[in-house]
Amino acid sequence: MRNLLHDMNPSVKFVLVTVSMLALAFFFNPWTPLLFWLGILLLQLTMSRTKWKLWLLFMLPFSIGAFGYLWTTVVFGADTGGTVIWSFAGIDVTDEQWARALSLALRVMAFSTLSLLFAFTTDPVKFIMSLMQQLKLSPKMAYGIMVGYQFLPVMKDEFTQIQQAQRLRGAEMKKYSWQRLLEMRRILIPMLAGAVRKAERSAFAMEARGFTGEPRSAYYRPVRIGRTDIWMSGVFLVILLASCIGGSWLS
Amino acid sequence: MLKSWKLKEVVLMSLFAVVFGIVYLLFLHVANIWAALIGPLAYEWMFGIWFIVSIICMYIIRRPGAAVLSETMAAAIEVLIGNAVGPRLILSGVIQGLGAEAAFALTGYKHFNILVLMLAGIGSAVFSFVYGYFVSGYAALDPSFVALMFTIRVLSGAVIAGIGGKYIGDALLATGSLRGYAIARTKKGDVNA
Repeated sequence: MRNLLHDMNPSVKFVLVTVSMLALAFFFNPWTPLLFWLGILLLQLTMSRTKWKLWLLFMLPFSIGAFGYLWTTVVFGADTGGTVIWSFAGIDVTDEQWARALSLALRVMAFSTLSLLFAFTTDPVKFIMSLMQQLKLSPKMAYGIMVGYQFLPVMKDEFTQIQQAQRLRGAEMKKYSWQRLLEMRRILIPMLAGAVRKAERSAFAMEARGFTGEPRSAYYRPVRIGRTDIWMSGVFLVILLASCIGGSWLS
Repeated sequence: MLKSWKLKEVVLMSLFAVVFGIVYLLFLHVANIWAALIGPLAYEWMFGIWFIVSIICMYIIRRPGAAVLSETMAAAIEVLIGNAVGPRLILSGVIQGLGAEAAFALTGYKHFNILVLMLAGIGSAVFSFVYGYFVSGYAALDPSFVALMFTIRVLSGAVIAGIGGKYIGDALLATGSLRGYAIARTKKGDVNA
């Protein structure tokens, strides 16, 4: 039970997540995103092994963003009519406007939760392999992305290295974070130049070992679509349909 | 589309996607904090940053598809790193990339001067705005507020992505590491290319 979401085919999960998000975009009532959000949370609570502390940390900035959405839609919302429920600093807030603002904020929350469900239950490497095998992503692209992904920790090291090297030579660190943001090009250019060299070297190494980028018929590690995927797709679609219909009915 | 590409060009896009994927995520968090204070407007003025990889890659590689593929790869890398925007990012990456690609396609992939690069930034801004209008429900906002958002995003696309992209591309060319790519070949011949 706790493995179900982890065992799903990544491409199937990817398509389901994308379809759900596009479907939700058609609803402007607060109930649909709320129901969907709760449904997804329940799904993740029962069918995955999620580190919830980390999950909360990831959700934090998006909850803040959702709050921003809430108040801007209240203040800068389109004229929708409806009865005024409260006034604040000369702004009349109607019930319709409040419902829409709530809907957009909850939509941000629902989207973020759905994304985290994907992020916490999907192995990145398996995802790319599955994109190549099920969704016919070109091997050149797929393995290209994999090369980039493998270099991620190297890039992190290089970032600190360049920073330390510059400090060693007396380049001063700016005091404020916005100044440091502007100074980013000093690190960005050497990073990119290093990236160009790495790209050339690894492409050469791949070709030297016989990588042609031609589509294949057999894979060393096949990723398959199984019975779990059919069941889980059913569960996802039930949650989506229930929240769409339930939301429209409740509002 | 990828048939005529050299592998090193694909891998180059991927590594740039890694560098900018990290930069993108960094700015996403900055933008989210801002967004709590000033609402969706916070994202608008920094939107150009999220278009920059497609413009830099097209400026260097100069092949049809470089803009849309690099932006898609950057989005894919962001998803691989793991974040709360998730798989939806890939879709918005494709759309932003298509916007830039459209501008380059309009000029027949022949000119890569500052005006075309700015146009590409504007293209990304327009495409992403149309998509955002749908997904983030801008229809619920006041039309004049939406117009303001649109204007800021287009300006950001032109200035940050267009001018900034050219600046980074030129700075990179000056380091001499781009010798094997299209940008270095045309620079030698004539200045206007």
